[in-house]
Amino acid sequence: MTAESVSPLIAALRQAVIDGQAKDAAALTEQALAAGVVPRSLVDEALIPAMDEAGRLFEAGEFFVPELLVAARALKASQALVTPLLAGSAAATAGRIAIGTVKGDMHDIGKNLVLALLQGGGFDVVDLGADVPPERFVAAITDDGAQMLGLSALLTTTMLQMKATMEALDRAGVRGSVKVIVGGAPVTQRFADEIGADGYADNAAAAVVLARRLLGRPA
Amino acid sequence: MTSRERVVTAMRRRQPDRPPFDLSFGYSTAQLASIRDRTGADDPCDYFGADTRMVWPGPTRLSTDFSAYHGPLPPGTTIDEWGLAHVPTASTDADHAHLEGFRHPMSRLESVSEAAEYPLPDIDAAYRYEPVRAEIEAIHRRGLAAMAMLECTVFERAWYLRGMERLLLDFTDGSAFATTLLDRITERRMAQAEHYARAGADVIAYGDDVGTQRGLLMSAGMWRAWLKPRLARTIEAARRVEPDVLVFYHSDGDVSAIIPDLIEVGVDILNPVQPECMDPAALKCAYGDRLSFWGTIGTQSTLPFGSPDDVRREVRTRIETVGAGGGLFLAPTHILEPEVPFENIVAFVEAVKGRYA
Repeated sequence: MTAESVSPLIAALRQAVIDGQAKDAAALTEQALAAGVVPRSLVDEALIPAMDEAGRLFEAGEFFVPELLVAARALKASQALVTPLLAGSAAATAGRIAIGTVKGDMHDIGKNLVLALLQGGGFDVVDLGADVPPERFVAAITDDGAQMLGLSALLTTTMLQMKATMEALDRAGVRGSVKVIVGGAPVTQRFADEIGADGYADNAAAAVVLARRLLGRPA
Repeated sequence: MTSRERVVTAMRRRQPDRPPFDLSFGYSTAQLASIRDRTGADDPCDYFGADTRMVWPGPTRLSTDFSAYHGPLPPGTTIDEWGLAHVPTASTDADHAHLEGFRHPMSRLESVSEAAEYPLPDIDAAYRYEPVRAEIEAIHRRGLAAMAMLECTVFERAWYLRGMERLLLDFTDGSAFATTLLDRITERRMAQAEHYARAGADVIAYGDDVGTQRGLLMSAGMWRAWLKPRLARTIEAARRVEPDVLVFYHSDGDVSAIIPDLIEVGVDILNPVQPECMDPAALKCAYGDRLSFWGTIGTQSTLPFGSPDDVRREVRTRIETVGAGGGLFLAPTHILEPEVPFENIVAFVEAVKGRYA
């Protein structure tokens, strides 16, 4: 099968994910694999660009939370078929990122959106959940091999736990081996600078761009 | 002017003697303890002379067992009358004592009949509003305005039960489950609104958070399809009983995109007008002849991180840019978190009362 004959399938899959059509995404994934498309190129040419586009539309105010959720659902439907075929391929991910809402804070919608777009962007994401104590973030580096941490907070009260988490990374001697990005409604670039984070993003799509830049991946 | 006269005058967009104020939706546990310690007063609203007092339905006689709707729950979890499980934070930091997470009892349900049979509370029962009537009379005898709380009116109550991501997916899929759940909640909220209006509330406080600080959580189209008609029904229910009751609507975040819709369905007052993402002065220019503004003093910016002078300046700016001809009720935009200095609360109240120095 030639590149010309599979490219409509790739384009259709990309569009199905953007449109949040999970059944179509799964069917097109099966068709593309049956047609001999290499799983890696299916990820690189359909899934990652689809979620990047969903993120771009979100950032532009054309997509809202529900559109991102259905796109992520369609992504998962495709990934369920593709990911097993990628196993063992060391270069399969753009990097491992552990993400969580800091200690005391239970809000997870924003964190989950960032998680969905990072996964869509090809990162291997460890979801630490909400109400995550500093020592769990440390363990994500030492035990889970995270190259980057994503810290979320919705409240001015719990935002201060980001500073406590940075201090815990210093004390554990792991600060130098990890990049840290922060976000959430009350968080600002200035606050990120004050606590010594490597980066701040004011929305989920910008977090993916930031993660790629800090981990030296192509935008 | 009594507080009640001040609130009604200002919210009907006539000039009061000064803007009315309150201290918003309450206080974090640590902040309330600190205020009590500093003032010696049990109720900060009494100490500072806030113009409103809030009322809620009386206690239920039901004791529904929701355990079948939940898996194992962490120690310290409480289940409210809707069946929502409130899980305390694992943090032992005193400043976090007010923080909790949710476990949603309807997250695993699938069929429309399950949505139809889920045991909702009897917040529509008349007996629960007998104490409300007495409370409102007592509030009025003190010259204060009574604000009846109908917060988390439909959308938030529905996602508390279903889970937000699940409910938003239901909306996208056009699910009959969501329609059934929202209609059942709406019917109860309509009855509750009628009871409040009959009990003599000055203000009924509706609210569903549909804003993020970057704009709506969902598209305006989705909001109009799923939530606007139901909000309209709950407002009409109160207005059929008491045409003059003031309708207050709360949503955190930036809800600029639906302000004309809110006015259309009968909202008189927008809250909290978060200055971090909405410009109160611009909204006054655009909608000040049809809408009043309640809140506007940032609990994410000035109150926790500004100086007392910054707080006084923000209050004065609001009075100058939003207060002309009435239409302004000054309040923190959300609960007072522990990091708001006591001096800033004092500066807020004194500035509202005209003492800027």
